[in-house]
Amino acid sequence: MPDFRTRVARLPTLGLGVSTEYGASVAAGALDPAALRREHPDYAGFLEVGVEVVKGLDDAARAWAASGAPTTYHFLDINLDDPEDRDPAWLAGLRGLCAELRPAWLCGDAGLWHFGRRERGHMLLLPPVLIAEAVAPMAEGIAALRAATGLEVLPENPPGTAFVGDLHLLEFFARVAEAADTGLLLDCAHLAMYQRLAGHAPHDGLDHLPWDRVIELHVAGGRERETGGFRWIEDEHGPELLPDTWAIAQLALERASNLRAVVVECERNPIAAVLPLFARVAAALPARLKAVPKDRPA
Amino acid sequence: MNPRAIQRAVLRMLYDPGFVAAIHGARALPGLSEAERALLRRVDPRAFATDPLRQARAVQAIVEEFPCSAAALGLARVEAFFASREFLACLGDGGSMGLAFATWLEDQAAGAGRIEAAMARLRRPVAQSPVAGTLRCAVNLAPISAPAGSLAWYEATRAWLGATPLHTLAEPADQAPRAAPPRRSPVRSRDPGEEHLLIEIGASGEMSLGTASEALVRLLRHAQRARTRRELEREAVIRGAAADEAAGVIDDLLAQGLLVAG
Repeated sequence: MPDFRTRVARLPTLGLGVSTEYGASVAAGALDPAALRREHPDYAGFLEVGVEVVKGLDDAARAWAASGAPTTYHFLDINLDDPEDRDPAWLAGLRGLCAELRPAWLCGDAGLWHFGRRERGHMLLLPPVLIAEAVAPMAEGIAALRAATGLEVLPENPPGTAFVGDLHLLEFFARVAEAADTGLLLDCAHLAMYQRLAGHAPHDGLDHLPWDRVIELHVAGGRERETGGFRWIEDEHGPELLPDTWAIAQLALERASNLRAVVVECERNPIAAVLPLFARVAAALPARLKAVPKDRPA
Repeated sequence: MNPRAIQRAVLRMLYDPGFVAAIHGARALPGLSEAERALLRRVDPRAFATDPLRQARAVQAIVEEFPCSAAALGLARVEAFFASREFLACLGDGGSMGLAFATWLEDQAAGAGRIEAAMARLRRPVAQSPVAGTLRCAVNLAPISAPAGSLAWYEATRAWLGATPLHTLAEPADQAPRAAPPRRSPVRSRDPGEEHLLIEIGASGEMSLGTASEALVRLLRHAQRARTRRELEREAVIRGAAADEAAGVIDDLLAQGLLVAG
């Protein structure tokens, strides 16, 4: 297999897109991705579909896929560092869903999505342990999933309130990317959470990243919270970006030379409430990511 | 350092405030080196308590799978499960929370608990290595014995709980615009005798329950381990079959799919 820096040339440019997950768009007041694409095609160049294999795709995701519009597949149910999690039944389900969605790539938080086996009540999302010994198992899982699907697998830095380990989050993911020879998904809001908790400024550690491997960015609103005097940030996916998130996103948009896609995560908000956020992100995109008239859906 | 050991400790810290205190305490903790523990100590203990609904979500999952057991026990008792060694072991060894709850239940919820524990095990069949020349009870079947009246109470309670059992159980009785819960809980009954049940899981996960003879249930329970045909014929005789009928009994059970090749 060619190395990632060769493979990246084959990845499509998706531009600005929006995310969804099972049932999200039918909730009262939630964003309808198809309506966003009709009304503001520049903001919905592709749909990032959050998927648990056991649930499959909802009607909105199926309809989007059937229209032939671009997608990416965001997994919500694989602990990448656990070989037992890539069981044959799950892999078969994943391949079937990929055949329907035809995603440009797979991506998702590289953390602990569930303890034990996949069961109701087992789901959570914890960040990886940020130590050198955790790099190889994660990288092996990414390479194995890539081999099993024939798709690029982009690990994403997860959210959290308790990050354990002696490596900076970005140093950990830089090592994972090199070891797996893969691209990365940088979630700017998740990184802002980490930086705040670790006592870092928003741009601290950004030099760790191999920026030419950053293929996708996530941008989302968050909310500052306090529990017993402990200050943390909730990954709210709301319409208001924290200044730290925007500072990270702006720098990432400048540096990520192979960037292909930016997702505004706001799936549980009405379109009207998130248009200013989309406009802000769209205005900041590098020219090569902006939609041109011929790219727009009919 | 072992990232899995650290991850397991983080997981336990989310559910067990006592373990957070132990991490910061002086006593040695099995399974964690001092270096691993030092990493955990660097995290503000309050960081593990930012999700007030974590246990509530787990309770919801338990109540949805064990609704009648939860009705028999009460929600406060269900919540005690999350401090049990069965739950903590499940976090540590990557097990199933549902199976851990089934184990923890034992006889706490009497017949309803036995029924729902058997259902939980049917949903999670353990792959059995074939043993040549043996027979065993079909994996989609659970033969159980329970206090008399358990099935009726289970069915009445399941109907009373409706589509949202947690909501029903959490609602104060004086605010519930519905009939009172079934009153005769087998939990409180004294020496009611036994009834014998067969529970079957279908291809789509649906359950069917029915009563069966004591002899059949005991024979099938005997066959939950792989047995030779001769052993099963002997058990059939112990359970009341005439010696010259035993082979026919086993043939019938094979034909009905209640017994299968081991």
